[in-house]
Amino acid sequence: MLIILVTVSNLNMENISGVENAFSMLVMPIQNGLTYLKNRMAGNDSFFTNINNLQAENKELKEKNKQLEESLRELEVIKAENSSLKEYMKMTEKYTEFSTIPANVINRDISNLSRMLVINIGSKDGITENMTVISQEGLVGHTISVTEHTAKVQTIVDSASTVSGAISTSRDGILLKGTLEDKKNLKATFIPAEATLVQGDSVETSGMGGLYEKGIHIGTITEIVNTKNITNRYAIIKAAVNFDKIETVLVIKKGE
Amino acid sequence: MKKALSIILLFFLFLISYFIQSNLFSWFTIAGIKPNVFIILVLYIGLYAGRRVGSALGIVFGLLLDIFMGRQIGISGILLGTVGFAGGYLDKNFSKDSKITIILMCIATTFFYEIINYIFLVLMYKMEFEILAIAKIAIIEGLYNSMIIIIIYPFTRWVGYKIEDIFKRSNILTRYF
Repeated sequence: MLIILVTVSNLNMENISGVENAFSMLVMPIQNGLTYLKNRMAGNDSFFTNINNLQAENKELKEKNKQLEESLRELEVIKAENSSLKEYMKMTEKYTEFSTIPANVINRDISNLSRMLVINIGSKDGITENMTVISQEGLVGHTISVTEHTAKVQTIVDSASTVSGAISTSRDGILLKGTLEDKKNLKATFIPAEATLVQGDSVETSGMGGLYEKGIHIGTITEIVNTKNITNRYAIIKAAVNFDKIETVLVIKKGE
Repeated sequence: MKKALSIILLFFLFLISYFIQSNLFSWFTIAGIKPNVFIILVLYIGLYAGRRVGSALGIVFGLLLDIFMGRQIGISGILLGTVGFAGGYLDKNFSKDSKITIILMCIATTFFYEIINYIFLVLMYKMEFEILAIAKIAIIEGLYNSMIIIIIYPFTRWVGYKIEDIFKRSNILTRYF
């Protein structure tokens, strides 16, 4: 018995490493699990208090995050408001001679045959039919029907629209019509035979007819088409306003 | 009861179409030209629910559109009413089970709607008659509408038969046998 014991204890450990490996492979996973459980049991209190703390902290952080998100949203709203107010300011500064009401475009035309806009102010804000609507760039159109909170605006590029205009340098009167074909340009007709038109000249409202106020920028002459008969000649005027992108407008109060 | 419910459902479809038309299709255009989903909606109502319901709902929807967005009240009402009536009439003479027939019907009604609408406008506002521009609009709009029909065909067929079952139950068998 003693001899066996002495022999075994003097064996080189490397010789039995294979057996050890096999054993550890078998045991270690279970051992790991058990150790984990044991540790869990031992540190029981701290584990649960930690969870409680974490939960409280998490709640607090979530609350904070929510508040931050809210304030961010508020800031975004303020930013948007600020930019639109700035735009209104610029517009009102530009047209100081008129008393105006700012408005936002809330809908565009659904048909291909007309080009109308709906704005978010109506009879409650003092809007009536046939009021001139402008934007920072120039003339937009006029109101054609009004409800309590909205108004329909017929733009100058609508094919049923006619504006009496004047070339700003020579003051020659022309008639500007919207066309079905073109959303961005107007066709200027009834050009006086003696009038001299130059490409790039700007055109503004003449105030004739009483529908539109006088002196509002409409656009610039981009093309002059000469015909055999000089009375039939016409010009293409590029509207200053981009009607696809327009978002804010001003409505000019009548008689003020 | 079922009829009333389905009319409410169709009204909801109209509202959805309105939002799609005024929001999505105001920027999703082909060469700057929008489709007209109301023509498709009313044509389908005419085809599946019959010309009486088709023309009545067409007139109501058209009048609502005139009130919402139109220049004067009436034109869209009359025209959409006619489209609904035409839908019911076409159903009697052509098969709506073929995609091609529905597409052709849609192109024809779109042409009719846009051109008559334009003639009304020209006469009313003494506008210049731009024949090329209106032809271009009618053609592109007709093609755009038929593309939409191809996309929504399986859905409309399914809903359509349900509606037909409610409105024309007594007539279905005599039509097929």
